[in-house]
Amino acid sequence: MRVAIAEDSGLFRSSLALLLRSLGAEVTASVPSGAELLAAIRTSLPDVVILDIRMPPSFTDEGIRAAREIRGLYPDTGILVLSTYAETSYASQLMETVPSGVGYLLKDNVTDADALMESLARVAEGETVVDPVIVRRLLGRKRKPSVLDTLNERELEVLRHMAEGRSNLGIAKELFLSVRTVEAHVTSVFTKLGLTPSDTENNRVRAVLTFLRSAGAPG
Amino acid sequence: MRATISSLPPPLPLRFSRTWRDGGAAGREGTGRSGRLGIWRRRRPWLAATEILVATGCFCALVQGPQWRESAALATVNLAVSLLFVFTGLMLGREPGQRVTAWALMLAGVFRCVDFVDAWSGPWHAYTLVFGGVDRLFGAWALLRYPNSALSRLQRWYLAVFAGWMLAGRALIVVTSTAQWNGYPPSWWPALMPDQQLSDALNYVVHGGEGLCGIGLMALLMNRLIRTRGLDRIVITPIIVAGIAAVIAAIVSATMMMFSLSSTPNGAYLVEGVVDFAIPVAFLIAVLQRLLLIKNVTELTAQVAAGGDIGAVRGALRSVLHDPTLDLLDTSESSLRALGSRSPGRLVSYIRAGQGAPIAVVVADPLLARYRELFDAATTASGLALQNAQLQARVAQEKLEQVRASRARIMEAELAERRRLERDLHDGVQQHLLGITAGLTAAKAKTSDPEAAAAFGQAGMSLKAVLAELRDLAHGIHPAVLSQSGLGAALEEVTERLPLPVSVHGPARRLDASVEAALYFVACEALANVVKHANATSAMVTVRVGESMLEMVIADDGIGGVTADAGQGPATHGLPGHGLAGHGLAGHGLANMADRVGALDGEVVIVSPPGRGTRLVVRVPCG
Repeated sequence: MRVAIAEDSGLFRSSLALLLRSLGAEVTASVPSGAELLAAIRTSLPDVVILDIRMPPSFTDEGIRAAREIRGLYPDTGILVLSTYAETSYASQLMETVPSGVGYLLKDNVTDADALMESLARVAEGETVVDPVIVRRLLGRKRKPSVLDTLNERELEVLRHMAEGRSNLGIAKELFLSVRTVEAHVTSVFTKLGLTPSDTENNRVRAVLTFLRSAGAPG
Repeated sequence: MRATISSLPPPLPLRFSRTWRDGGAAGREGTGRSGRLGIWRRRRPWLAATEILVATGCFCALVQGPQWRESAALATVNLAVSLLFVFTGLMLGREPGQRVTAWALMLAGVFRCVDFVDAWSGPWHAYTLVFGGVDRLFGAWALLRYPNSALSRLQRWYLAVFAGWMLAGRALIVVTSTAQWNGYPPSWWPALMPDQQLSDALNYVVHGGEGLCGIGLMALLMNRLIRTRGLDRIVITPIIVAGIAAVIAAIVSATMMMFSLSSTPNGAYLVEGVVDFAIPVAFLIAVLQRLLLIKNVTELTAQVAAGGDIGAVRGALRSVLHDPTLDLLDTSESSLRALGSRSPGRLVSYIRAGQGAPIAVVVADPLLARYRELFDAATTASGLALQNAQLQARVAQEKLEQVRASRARIMEAELAERRRLERDLHDGVQQHLLGITAGLTAAKAKTSDPEAAAAFGQAGMSLKAVLAELRDLAHGIHPAVLSQSGLGAALEEVTERLPLPVSVHGPARRLDASVEAALYFVACEALANVVKHANATSAMVTVRVGESMLEMVIADDGIGGVTADAGQGPATHGLPGHGLAGHGLAGHGLANMADRVGALDGEVVIVSPPGRGTRLVVRVPCG
């Protein structure tokens, strides 16, 4: 696993690089800004880039801008945003900009090495990963009426786990269900969200996007 | 003073170029310049007045001649009454517009003594019989005239009929009688066609007619009293009362003489003379009263000295000038336009601040033109009060501006401080802790010692909890999303943490940072109250941006009944996990909201009928 890091805070950047190396990843670049990251990955393309949201020069949403640019130039490179902000709007913004092969995790996840590596792997494989804190917030939110209202509780739960980046097997383990049952729920979710059951992986992404859009998009 | 005057509005288009514009009687008085008696325009008027009094006194003493021997009391009363009439006439002559009335009074006084010229022997008896009532004619004239300077048509007719009846009737009596029939010793008498029966009949008819004229005068005087208003009424009441008393006395005296109820005619004259005192005394009272009224102006000055607004000054002017129709207008265009349309025949006068431009306009009853000194004194005092009020208002306005600016500065400083704190937390403590956490995780991954791994894991979990708390703290201090994505996004974030569905309609564009921050914190406060007290099932936050005003409405479908001073109960906690309680925003409830919005020159309005939800509206100017 080849990873490039763009992170403003030096201490966190070096600690993160240390952690990733200790977990067996190869850190190809570790730089403080999006621009420097773009320069670095031009020579050596990683599997995944890790981005901070707030970076120089403007300290606003450089992470999301860099994500768009990287996806435009290198569509196969996964993008994982590690953020301090638990706001759903950043996650939604990111998903709107880059619909797949992308993740939005809170930096707190560095406490769980396995989860971090698993997320990196999923993003690298083109899946979508959203931090459970944000997913819970989106789900707990009393929303305006949307297509998600047609899902039952179990289906919503399955969708939530899908959004967090789990496979059917992972979901089955988490919910103490059989893989077959999970697959049935997943199909049901796709049907209710109006997705054709042919292309399973793409549908997963679309379902998660539907979920995020209807739950997370401001206004 | 001068500096402030120069900043007053420029002089008005002088549509009302004459300061005194009255369609009333004063306009017709224009002849004698000021309408005063001539002597008061002399260099030493008091000396001239004394000379006139002395001369009149000598004349009146002389003209009564033998009367002094016959009845010194009557002669003294006559002299005193005459002098008092003349003195009063002179005093009255000082007032503008009273020249003619003054003459009438003085002539009434002089003729009153001339009536008693019949004490001398000679042709005077016939004179007295014919002209003995001329003093009453002058007296009636003065009574009807004062303080108006013109007579009505009815009054003129009355005086003409009275004079004609008396002079013609008495002349007829004289030519149809002899001196003896009229109780005089034999003397020269123009007895052209003496006829006792005819003369007696004429006597009754003429004197009866004079009695009717007296009653007519009373009616006219009563009518005047009823019709007069304002200051005039105050001034003429004693005169009319005295006039009516004098008429009654004259009628009684005439009746007594006619039916010989009095042992001597002198007794009747004496009674009449004493009552006649009342007339000049009443005129003097009137003159004094007019002088005393000016004293009221000090009262007015005291009333409005503290700097009353235009309404207070208007009220004071109305009471001092006894004119409930008086109006005091500012000098704005709209006032002046209204003035042009509603003041025909009214007295219009500008109030100026020193030499400066007019600061107000008085529109008053035209009769006040007769009280010019009083009117001028009152308007001058009002001008000072108004100017004082203007200055005070300006100072207050300036202070208000200062307070507002300083409040805005405080809010801005607070906002900047909050953002700095949040950034410091984010870039410093949070990143450092995250770095340590990542290091711990790496150490945990590298160690083969299971106890060390467990300890690292434990430390990592604790750090994760600390990080979550720090994140909430930073968000509560200043949500980064507010600066970054604006009010709409920040409100979305807030409402998704609430236990009830809240629909948010954010502004279409970014707003001023201080406006966004204020509205955000007000919305948090209001929503926290909704959650805690409103018992609502849903709520709505709408921000609309107009051209000059932006409006945020926070509405719920709860129990309502919020009063502006108490809020929805004691709001002591902020939003759950939102750090609001930590910075004391929620504790002060509505006052805090009003403060924040007030700093932006805006307002907070709460509509909360019991049982029908609460609607909190925040309006802030924008542009």
